[in-house]
Amino acid sequence: MTEIKIEMKSISKVFETDDVETHALKDVDIVIRAGEYVSIAGPSGCGKSTLLSLLGLLDMASSGTYSIEGLDVSDLSLDEAAAIRNEKIGFVFQSFNLIDEISVFDNVALPLSYKKDLPTDEFIKERVETCLKMVEMSHRADHKPNQLSGGQQQRIAIARALVADPAILLVDEPTGNLDSQSGDTVMAVLAELNKNGTTICMVTHDARYADMANIQLKLLDGQIVKQEDLKVAV
Amino acid sequence: MRKLILRQKQAWASLKKKPGFMLTVILTMGITLGALLCAITLNYLLLVEPMPYPEQERLFVAEHRLSGAEKETKGVAFTYPGLVHLYKSKEAFERASMLIYGGDVIISHSSQPLVNTAYVTPEFHQILSSPLALGRMFEDSEAIDTNNPVAMLSYDTWQQEYNGSADILEQKINLSGVSYRVVGVLAKNFVEPELGAIGRKTQVWIPFDYNQTGEGARQSFGNISGALNFMGHLKHGVSSSQAVQLLTPLVNDRWIEGVAEIDFFKGWSIDIRVRSVKEVILGESESIAVMLLAGVLGLVLIACANISNLFMSRTAEKQRQMAIQAAIGATKNHLFKAMFAETGLLMFMSIIVALILSQIGFYIMQQYLGAILPRVNELGLNAITFGAAVLVTVVFAMFFAKLSTRMINYRVLNTTLQSSGKGSGLQVSKKTRKILIASQVALATVLVFANFSLLKDAVKTINAPIGFSTENISTLILNFSSTNFPTQEEAIPIMNEIMEKLEALPQVDSLSQSGSPLDGFNVRALTNLANNERYTPFFKGIDHNYFDMIEQPMLQGDNFTLADRKDGANLMIVNQAFAKQLKADGDVLGMQISTGRPEPLKIVGIVKDIAIPGATPIGSNVASAGVPRAYVPNGLGGQTFMLKTKPGQTVSREQLGALLAEVDARYSVFSFNAASDILTQSLFAEITTATTTAVLASLVFLLAGIGLYGILSYGTQLRRFELGARMAIGATRKHLISLIIGDNTKAVLAGFAGSIVLFALAYIGLSDYIQPLLSWQVLPMIVATLILIILVTLFACYWPLRQYINQPAIYSLRAND
Ligand SMILES: Nc1ncnc2c1ncn2[C@@H]1O[C@H](COP(=O)(O)OP(=O)(O)OP(=O)(O)O)[C@@H](O)[C@H]1O
Ligand SMILES: [Mg+2]
Repeated sequence: MTEIKIEMKSISKVFETDDVETHALKDVDIVIRAGEYVSIAGPSGCGKSTLLSLLGLLDMASSGTYSIEGLDVSDLSLDEAAAIRNEKIGFVFQSFNLIDEISVFDNVALPLSYKKDLPTDEFIKERVETCLKMVEMSHRADHKPNQLSGGQQQRIAIARALVADPAILLVDEPTGNLDSQSGDTVMAVLAELNKNGTTICMVTHDARYADMANIQLKLLDGQIVKQEDLKVAV
Repeated sequence: MRKLILRQKQAWASLKKKPGFMLTVILTMGITLGALLCAITLNYLLLVEPMPYPEQERLFVAEHRLSGAEKETKGVAFTYPGLVHLYKSKEAFERASMLIYGGDVIISHSSQPLVNTAYVTPEFHQILSSPLALGRMFEDSEAIDTNNPVAMLSYDTWQQEYNGSADILEQKINLSGVSYRVVGVLAKNFVEPELGAIGRKTQVWIPFDYNQTGEGARQSFGNISGALNFMGHLKHGVSSSQAVQLLTPLVNDRWIEGVAEIDFFKGWSIDIRVRSVKEVILGESESIAVMLLAGVLGLVLIACANISNLFMSRTAEKQRQMAIQAAIGATKNHLFKAMFAETGLLMFMSIIVALILSQIGFYIMQQYLGAILPRVNELGLNAITFGAAVLVTVVFAMFFAKLSTRMINYRVLNTTLQSSGKGSGLQVSKKTRKILIASQVALATVLVFANFSLLKDAVKTINAPIGFSTENISTLILNFSSTNFPTQEEAIPIMNEIMEKLEALPQVDSLSQSGSPLDGFNVRALTNLANNERYTPFFKGIDHNYFDMIEQPMLQGDNFTLADRKDGANLMIVNQAFAKQLKADGDVLGMQISTGRPEPLKIVGIVKDIAIPGATPIGSNVASAGVPRAYVPNGLGGQTFMLKTKPGQTVSREQLGALLAEVDARYSVFSFNAASDILTQSLFAEITTATTTAVLASLVFLLAGIGLYGILSYGTQLRRFELGARMAIGATRKHLISLIIGDNTKAVLAGFAGSIVLFALAYIGLSDYIQPLLSWQVLPMIVATLILIILVTLFACYWPLRQYINQPAIYSLRAND
């Protein structure tokens, strides 16, 4: 049995706005093991983004328990959550969310600067360069993000997500803002990373890309309805 | 129309969700526009609106300027015979009048009030076409040398002193023993031209013949008095300069003849100045009004910059909402209209506040600035105020709406929708943002510092030591209500008895038969017999108790004695400043000084200077402590006293009245005022300046704070997605707070540097004003300014940030609000 990276047990999320309660997630159980590539699909509004933000500790669940690499993270303060995000989670957003005012290199290095024990400059340089190499963007280290194409920006975002050596990479519709060719490149990068051992959890609409994952979850109305383990099927 | 109402409703609904924003805009704009409306109305009244008198283009005042041998101005005031000579000549003026201001007690009235009087020839009210409430104005029957005892009352006097009694025209009033029949009451809307002191209102008008000028002064060409005035309509076709050409030789020749005997005036001459009544009344207040308007415009500009920042932040905040509107087909014009509905609504509410505040402002100006600014009683909300209000509302609403919609990059709006937060389409570049912050900080620093120093100066003037005591001291001036004035010999025993009785009062500690140091100084022409140099110090007759009572220290020599006063000894005491003027080393004891009379005065003592607020040496505008003063022993018949009461005890006007009546019924109380009240009155201008400065300063602090907050919070709002991204990759709250503070620190430091540049520029332009500021004493003020700005900055960094960092990161990453 490989190591369990992520374990959610009967996680629910309720949004309360203006007297209306939205049950975005109901009793969701998820286990993700080291080296897995999980995709989450489902119709719009079924709760994919909500699930991903809970996985990434961007938001807190209404009930249920959640642990990352065996560490219970169900009930954290804002700053504790930030520290865990920094240490264990890499994010890739649909909209890149790079900071336009600083260089590609600095963008990628940013998570390291939020570490509790600030790494040495040499370490940072080496690490950033390694990650940029992984996404094949070393030649653009000194550019500003807005001087790059969408696909290139997304690859920088992936490098940034990898730089702190996270337990898991959380990816929300990485190709949503890209044309199909750039989308393909980004997906190829992700596949390559997974092959080299990175655990990935990705939300996507695109059935083609969902197929690249070895575990495919389907979400409907806030509940996981079908779990296909391709490896088992094969 | 329905669309308009709908838009207003939507605007209201959207504003209601942001009460803080709404309140800030309404208060900032309401307060500053209120001040603006006040200043505009005041300027219109003073500079544009004609005065309520007929043919005012011909309405002029003649002034009598005395110049010395070098043509330098010695004084601008008439001699009594010079005034009458001008009046009788009938030159240049078609119709002219003489007017002398005074004050007297209505002794026939039960409360014996002291009233402002004016002694006029009948032409005065004829020229002004003064409206009447009752009766008639003065006519030929009251012309000069008719001695017809009648009087006119002001409307307020009729109402307040005589309860508006209907039979006032059948009444007689007694002033100084003359019984005047009331023949008319001026109408409520009569506006008295403020030819003398601004804000002074004449209460009783009396024919010229009864003016209070003494027999001697009526003949003397050597005495000038500021109470004497000459006003009239110039002849058709005669310009003011032609009038000057005509009148100057006429008056000068007569004056030269009149002073031929007096050596002191050798080489001096008179010229007549002719100025329009409007110019005379406006005086320096024209520039005060313009300065006020300029200051307020400055405030409006700061407020406007601040509010622009707030509107920019709001647009940034509303970008997604607007993107949606754009996506479903709203054109730029639609968005502008929606924005205009909002800014219009805000400006409408602001202007209501402004109108209310300006009404309060008029009231305050009437209460407190009546002695500084003329015509303030005519102030009120009028067509100009409302016109300005409407204009200002529309212009600012348009401006803010335009500014906000100009920020919208219509093409980017659509992408805003699709990409939930790849930066934001409405971002003002980081550079612009920093420049805005830096300039706001520079401006705020300069303003805050300048206001601190103004405030400090005003407070310093108020608290400055005056060099004498006013504690428990009151001035009593007697009124003699009969036409047969007693001779000095007759008066002495009466005054002796009065003084005995006064000293016997249990409340009274000590008594001096002299006027207060705060008034009762004349200017006298003196000659130093050693070198024939001429001087014009302030001059005062005092008794032997004067210096003791007010605790003004004698530095050298001796005080006068009672015997000196009895003998009319030719002695003089001078202050340090005059001693310095007479002789550089100030050693002047024994020096002989001539007043023009055969017997010179010998200097027997030197006293310390006093610093009467606002007093300047003759011929100089520079306020300084060194005003030259000379004192001589007065006679024993004087009717002015200083009473020092025992601590905590008071004497009433009624009590004094009764005491006087007991001694001699012809005497009554003319005035009885505490010295400290007189001092407060003479500090009035400083107090007004200090209060105005304090109010403006707090407004500036408030506006500067709001401005800084606005621009910093705007910057933070624009960085919302960036903050979200940073949070997602693990930034804690501490990281983010220090990020924002760190980023803004550079801009704030640049702002501080900018303020130094501004000061340097100001120093080059206004070094006279700034030079005295350059001392170690400004250090605490600089520190206070910097601390204040830094505190506001820190607050403005944290407060807008808290909404993002105190909730889960997802809320900052999500695009909708
Ligand atoms: N902040 C919120 N407040 C209230 N309801 C919310 C909030 N965020 C999400 N929801 C609701 O939760 C449900 C799930 O939303 P979520 O964004 O997770 O859907 P999704 O699966 O990502 O959809 P899509 O594929 O369209 O992105 C929806 O019904 C949505 O209305
Ligand atoms: Mg989603």
